[in-house]
Amino acid sequence: MVEVSLERVTKRFGRVVALDQVSLVFEDGKFTALLGPSGSGKTTLLYIIAGIYKPTSGRIYFGGEDVTDLPPNKRNVGLVFQNYALYPHMTVYDNIAFPLRLRKLPESKIDRKVREVAKMLRIEELLDRYPSQLSGGQQQRVALARALVKEPTVLLLDEPLSNLDALLRVSIRAELKRLQKDLGITTIYVTHDQAEALSMADTVVVIDRGRVQQVDTPQNIYNRPRNLFVATFIGSPPANVLYARLTEKNPSLACVEVNKARFCFEGERAARLSRLGGEEVVLAFRPERARLGTEPRSDMLSIPAEVYVVETLGRENVVTLVVGASMVKVVTPPSQVPRLGESYYVLVDPRDVMLFDPVTELNIDYIEA
Amino acid sequence: MARLALRRARAEARAAERVMGDVETLRSARRAYLLAAVLGAASLPMVLLYLLLVLSSFADTIVTGPDILEARYSLDNWLMFFRGEVAPAAGRLYTTADILATIANTAIVALGVTAVVVFTSVLAGYAFSRMRFRWRRGLMTFIILLHAFPGVALIIAVYAMYVWSSMPLARSEGAMVAYAFAFTVLARASLELPMSIWLMKGFFDRIPWEVEWSALIDGASRLRAWWQIVLPQVKPGIAALAIFAFLAGWEDLIYVHVFLYIGTAGKVKTLATLIEELTANIETSYLPVVAAAGTLYLLPTILFFVLTQKLLLEAYSGGLKA
Repeated sequence: MVEVSLERVTKRFGRVVALDQVSLVFEDGKFTALLGPSGSGKTTLLYIIAGIYKPTSGRIYFGGEDVTDLPPNKRNVGLVFQNYALYPHMTVYDNIAFPLRLRKLPESKIDRKVREVAKMLRIEELLDRYPSQLSGGQQQRVALARALVKEPTVLLLDEPLSNLDALLRVSIRAELKRLQKDLGITTIYVTHDQAEALSMADTVVVIDRGRVQQVDTPQNIYNRPRNLFVATFIGSPPANVLYARLTEKNPSLACVEVNKARFCFEGERAARLSRLGGEEVVLAFRPERARLGTEPRSDMLSIPAEVYVVETLGRENVVTLVVGASMVKVVTPPSQVPRLGESYYVLVDPRDVMLFDPVTELNIDYIEA
Repeated sequence: MARLALRRARAEARAAERVMGDVETLRSARRAYLLAAVLGAASLPMVLLYLLLVLSSFADTIVTGPDILEARYSLDNWLMFFRGEVAPAAGRLYTTADILATIANTAIVALGVTAVVVFTSVLAGYAFSRMRFRWRRGLMTFIILLHAFPGVALIIAVYAMYVWSSMPLARSEGAMVAYAFAFTVLARASLELPMSIWLMKGFFDRIPWEVEWSALIDGASRLRAWWQIVLPQVKPGIAALAIFAFLAGWEDLIYVHVFLYIGTAGKVKTLATLIEELTANIETSYLPVVAAAGTLYLLPTILFFVLTQKLLLEAYSGGLKA
């Protein structure tokens, strides 16, 4: 068990920069999720840790040891690929035993270890089968067993659940989290599914276009996104974004205007807003933190809007409204089903309003004075 | 409950797959019969000719049609053939030839070509499929271009190479024979190589990179990953390749004639050059025995194609399904 750290790792494929000066620390024994849209560089990062790719520049450390120049077979990592990559010509037993045979362990010891890990993952009765005779969920367990049997210093998982059906995915999610906690093995998990990342990980690393956007706990990633990308990438539906004009810029009182609705912030927020360069600010709020009201309220941001579409989901309704030239989504309780074309006020508590600098797209709460 | 729903979902997915397997067109039975009749008629002459050859090898004359019923059938031709009594000559009834040696020579050439082709194209196919090096694309185009040259067009230049390179060996007959074999095998194999390398590359292309990476991460060296993980998965490809190469070597006439037959002044014969020799004097040769030789010559082809039809079809259509 070690801590994995990256120091200004850059990877170029020809002219494409897949990773740009990434510095990260994956804590010892923790479950870290690498979350990003496709093409963000998260799998490249995982392959660099595994040693499949060499970084163009930068260093990689396992514990104190510099492994940048070590080939994958000298790093002792366990990796589960998205397509599992089982050896089709070997039985499940031989698949799991393969890493141990390469270490030239005595056959009796290999047998003991294979059966041990097979029991842990409940695939004992599959040992004589071939990978093509297994279901997706079983293949995934075998791949995990093969990765764990060699007691790796780091466990790397590349979208291991994306090939499974929805129900299975949810049940394996919980199991995987429990397994990681029991084994206490440093785990890095690549996914584009925010639900997986937020539900399983101790720490979430949001990555986009080869750059780290935010490293934080799932709670903070959700509630205090560092920039506009994180705010609009996380959440289902994601945060609403509105451009507002700054009409008043005093350190004690700062006012914004959006679609003829005016709201003033005081205190710390006002001070931060007053330091912004331009006359604009980006407002964002989560659909489930807003309400629909028929009257404006003075203690809340109250934006006049017109109902555009209503999606009824049973547990809740997602209402899409037109605000000037933009659309916002609001989650309403099942009892409140607005009709098309009705006018409402979108009400948001000022504490739930996130404010971003339109130029740097940074959350103003994170801007250093 | 959840498990039950899951099972049902899977069953439905499988059923959908079955239904969506093919475009559902209306098949007319009459059209199918008509198509079968046309194709059957088109291939009838070929099948008939082979059948007549096989029949003639057991008959006392070359059967060509209605005389099938008049000819007398026995194993005499085959016995004579294996005793080496193949060509009638003045004074004696038959000149003898060492048939077992001839078959052995044919096998040496065929197996030699197979070995060279399999060894080279498995390595080259892997390199072209998996490794990035300078001139990779250019070299691949160049190789397929070589495939366009017929072997006959190259034979003068290759013969010049043969004469020039074999000069130092001219004094020792044994060395000369060994060299003739080696040269024939290499020259014939190089005609097969372009296609084989491309075929093999196709097979390697089908193995996902992740499987090979997995082996590396499990602690294997590149060589071991290739040997233990990648190679077993292209076995069907290697088998198809080996069959093609074996048949090419077994059946070859031109290269065997020029380098092995002429190169050793007629001392080393293969089945192809033996039949060529026997039919050279068509007036005097006893053709039913030649028919036996011809049948033996064709045997591997027929056997391989009957036994491995499916495999060869898949090899030609670009590799095997996982």
